[in-house]
Amino acid sequence: MSVQFFLQQCLIGLTNGALIALVALGYTMVYGIIGLINFAHGDLIMLGACLALSLVTALGLATAGPTATWLGISLLIVLCGLFCGTLNVAVDRLVYKPLRSAPKLAPLVSAIGVSFIFMNMGLFWIGSADRAFPELLPSTNLLPMEGLQITWKDLLVVIVVVPLMVGLTLLVQMTRLGKAMRAVSQDQTAASLVGVDVDRVIAATFFIGGFLGGAASVIYGLYINTIGFQIGFQNGLYAFTAAVLGGIGSIPGAVLGGLVIGLVRSLSSAYVGERWTGAIVFAILIVILVFRPEGLLGRRTKEKV
Amino acid sequence: MPIFEVSHLVAGYGPIKALDGVSFDVNAGELIAIIGANGAGKTTLLMTISGVVPARSGSIRFLDQPINGLLTHEIVRLGVGHSPEGRRIFPRLTVRENLQLGGFTQPDRWQLKRDIAEACNLFPVLGTRMNQLGGTLSGGEQQMLALARALIGRPKLLMLDEPSLGLAPLVVVKIFEVIAGLTSRGIAVILVEQNARAALRLASRGYVLESGRITLSGSGPELLNDRRVRDAYLGE
Repeated sequence: MSVQFFLQQCLIGLTNGALIALVALGYTMVYGIIGLINFAHGDLIMLGACLALSLVTALGLATAGPTATWLGISLLIVLCGLFCGTLNVAVDRLVYKPLRSAPKLAPLVSAIGVSFIFMNMGLFWIGSADRAFPELLPSTNLLPMEGLQITWKDLLVVIVVVPLMVGLTLLVQMTRLGKAMRAVSQDQTAASLVGVDVDRVIAATFFIGGFLGGAASVIYGLYINTIGFQIGFQNGLYAFTAAVLGGIGSIPGAVLGGLVIGLVRSLSSAYVGERWTGAIVFAILIVILVFRPEGLLGRRTKEKV
Repeated sequence: MPIFEVSHLVAGYGPIKALDGVSFDVNAGELIAIIGANGAGKTTLLMTISGVVPARSGSIRFLDQPINGLLTHEIVRLGVGHSPEGRRIFPRLTVRENLQLGGFTQPDRWQLKRDIAEACNLFPVLGTRMNQLGGTLSGGEQQMLALARALIGRPKLLMLDEPSLGLAPLVVVKIFEVIAGLTSRGIAVILVEQNARAALRLASRGYVLESGRITLSGSGPELLNDRRVRDAYLGE
């Protein structure tokens, strides 16, 4: 149990965590704006991964040269992002929007229904067996040392996730749309009374959350190398947990929660044993929520009314 | 010449008719007051005009155009501003962001900057709190912020719902001072108030709303001297 081993596990944990965080953002943004836990989000990403796999095959990326591979990966991220974003908006329009003023339970149960519909679409798309996602990136160690390795796959996660998160933060903090999103999340009626088209802002939120999920689906395929129609459920659950752990509705919270869960998962797999990982992750979640029900970065302060 | 006209407006929640055939109008540059007890339907009236609460029947016309059936943001963009009851500022946005959202429909960024500067002139305390979260302001400051936010939207008609509710007397004076100046800037105002005396002193005309109906109307001084108004709303 050397230092290198520990560092390696941390690295794996952080990379996995970044991926979880990207998915967690989709949960937290939708929750933040309409208070819905979008249970279909994980399965949306599964569908993104199916599209990524189909595109890899159609474009013949598995046998392409390095330049074509990187171009292909960029194209995959954009296309799968657009696909998941658009699908997410369509589901909002068709399913959640008509239930906007219904009791919270109605859209929640509908989201579970959408999750099953997506899962069956995935089953139809790629079949019931797990499918190998081609290794598009060489797995040579980029570090000049033994025992600790960083591959292109790890770098890919960082290269994609970090700019997306920075971009999202800038969008939410600086732009007109971002301000409108925050306003709608705080008071929909007041936002409409200053001229904000609330439905459009909600649609934009679904699109952005879906786009990030689509990007995550491509990275998932390239990083994990196996996809199946049921990957949405488990990964969605971890990402949702990350969002809650960080403080649901909080964007930095989702990122922090994702990294924490990624780290806990890899360290407990390495030092305690794989079979305990799920139990340990959720035990930590429960302990944290007992002491900080609002999550790590969630809001605690009460506003004056 | 009325720029705004409500006729036979009916609206409500479920089986309850909160508005039962309300009619009134507002002339260009005029301030009218709507007074009434709690639960008379004042807030519902404004919310129905803004399209937040759907109208069941009746018509709402603004600048010779029917506006019932439009979405809230469309109505706002036509120039009907609404500062809602309870101020409804965005508590977790800074004062600056609240003001910027007030100008959400303003396409000209420089104009928006000037409008925000002007609002801070009107309420100097806001200028000193620009980077503070809205929720950390005192009640009076929040009301000023709500009023400033509504003005930055450059409404042609501004509806104010209980702007003096729960505020310290000095702040009320300040708020009413600003409201009194609105008409000279060409803004028509619908002022809904429980503080009937202050509202009727500012208003050229007033309406009394009782259980969803207009039961009395007249000029400000007429209503101030009306026996029924004095008994019911002026506490004499």
